Amino acid sequence: MKKTILTLLLAGTMATMFTACRTNTDTSSGAMSNIDTTTTGTVNAELTDAPNVPKPLTYTSPKRVMVTLEVIEKVMRIADSTEYTFWTFGGSVPGKFIRVRQGDMVDFTLKNMPDSKLPHNIDLHAVTGPGGGATVTNVAPGYDARFQFRALNPGLYIYHCATGPVGMHIANGMYGLIYVEPQHNPLPKVDHEFYLMQGDFYTKGKFEAKGLQEFDMDKAIDEKADYVLFNGRVNALTGPNSLKVKQGETVRLFVGNGGPNLVSSFHVIGEIFNTVRVEGGDLVNHNVQTTLIPAGGATVIDMKMEVPGHYHIVDHSIFRAFNKGAIAQIKVEGKNDPNVFMNLKKK
Amino acid sequence: MKFLTTILLFFLCLPALAYPSSSENAGKKMVVVPGGNYYSFLVTNSNKPIPVAAFLMDETAVTNAEFLEFVKANPSWQRSKVNRLFADANYLKQWAGDLDLGKDRQKLGNTPVVNVSWFAAEAYAKWKGKRLPTVAEWELAGAGTPDKLKKNMSLTDYILDWYNRPNAQQLPATKTTYRNEYGLYDMHGLIWEWTFNFNSFISKGDSRATTEDEKKLFCAAGAMSVKDRKNYAAFLRFSYRGSLKGSYCIANLGFRCAKSIK
Repeated sequence: MKKTILTLLLAGTMATMFTACRTNTDTSSGAMSNIDTTTTGTVNAELTDAPNVPKPLTYTSPKRVMVTLEVIEKVMRIADSTEYTFWTFGGSVPGKFIRVRQGDMVDFTLKNMPDSKLPHNIDLHAVTGPGGGATVTNVAPGYDARFQFRALNPGLYIYHCATGPVGMHIANGMYGLIYVEPQHNPLPKVDHEFYLMQGDFYTKGKFEAKGLQEFDMDKAIDEKADYVLFNGRVNALTGPNSLKVKQGETVRLFVGNGGPNLVSSFHVIGEIFNTVRVEGGDLVNHNVQTTLIPAGGATVIDMKMEVPGHYHIVDHSIFRAFNKGAIAQIKVEGKNDPNVFMNLKKK
Repeated sequence: MKFLTTILLFFLCLPALAYPSSSENAGKKMVVVPGGNYYSFLVTNSNKPIPVAAFLMDETAVTNAEFLEFVKANPSWQRSKVNRLFADANYLKQWAGDLDLGKDRQKLGNTPVVNVSWFAAEAYAKWKGKRLPTVAEWELAGAGTPDKLKKNMSLTDYILDWYNRPNAQQLPATKTTYRNEYGLYDMHGLIWEWTFNFNSFISKGDSRATTEDEKKLFCAAGAMSVKDRKNYAAFLRFSYRGSLKGSYCIANLGFRCAKSIK
């Protein structure tokens, strides 16, 4: 008992010294300056497939967080009558959403399934270290790699495969999001959190050409996308698959852009973003119509759905929405509020 | 460096392992691959073309049936007896037992042997009085023009399409893809193949990293990405080789042997 207290005291003192030391040398608001890195206990990260987001974290001190992602190469539908060989983190595009807290030590395992044709690795933009983890995770089919990293900086980050040729691995769907909750001032509570990721695809056949379509390297190099999609499939989030909320509810979109080539002019038709955490970082903007999401970047959008109806999420580089699949829907159910919006022409 | 040490160790151990030499070297057909200059896709100032002398190469990958003869003659390479340093737990896992290909033995016998380590492949080649081809030799041989392909399909398209497809549930037999101008079968489209110096270029996993070799790789990727898709396919092979260790046994990785012409 006495020994435990002593150890705790010692650990505490060392942590304080460490923190103090860092504060002296680093006065920016960024990593490590004021963050607690004394790790106690281990948790398994909740991992979700889009459009779901793991629940907000409830722990308030740094943990060792166990994360395992499986690399799976598989044929899936990219459109109703079109198939494509996707390379995935966890069996779908985008890959699993990972949620950790600033100060956590992430214990990360990447498994490449034995049936894979190729080696793969992972570069998480939330990692401070060589290659974002890619240098230590290049794994042959049937093998796995493991490394740890301290989540120093809060924010929304993408991860992607960085095995050569990088562009091809990303073009086949190897990307996802990791959100690092800040230690101080976590995001305000909202009614719904959703996970969207845009990506451009390049196939031998044209948009929605039938059958199994192969990756087209020439088109990828020329940046002539056949598909620009949210969540890896035409109509992944429309009609019966729409995101459903009620009138008056607040919605948060964690949006990433895997690329490989195109930047997104992200817009929701009929809504104004109340809050945009620009590029997924600390900069907060309000009352935004369209926000730019770079390839290899992300953004956090909060908005309130005041009026019932269907709202279209688009890349406002608008041919992509109407001709290449870059469209998703939010269905808002409930009673109309004429104080905000009303059709004045009687039927 | 670590790999070099491993190789050194391996060769130091050789006298102890002492393979009996096969008496039936004439068994498998070998064809002549003409010499030439191998231009690595890693184009840099210091990276000169590698001259390759004409050599002999097995016309197909080594099959399960052929490898079975090897482990019969060399019990230390049987599944239950092999040293884990030389072949990991996946070694020959497609077989039913040490000397048993299982109930599909007829079919399996003619398919390329996979789940074999570099060390096992090297030992097999030695037993046959042959050796593994170098990367330069393999790449020259693999660049041979196919006898015929589907209309409008280039070899590069063929290769990239294969890289893009997940593994087949059942590996097809040898001689089921295409034959090239040198008389070699299935250089692409069936399995990946071990080379003698498979990891002499890449020592780390991130092709964009900044160490000397990898910087070349990254720069090359940038330079190549404009037009030379053939090299894009080579890039994938280099990535694959870079992820390997000598003891790895993988479900789509086999080998064929080469021999110098005296």
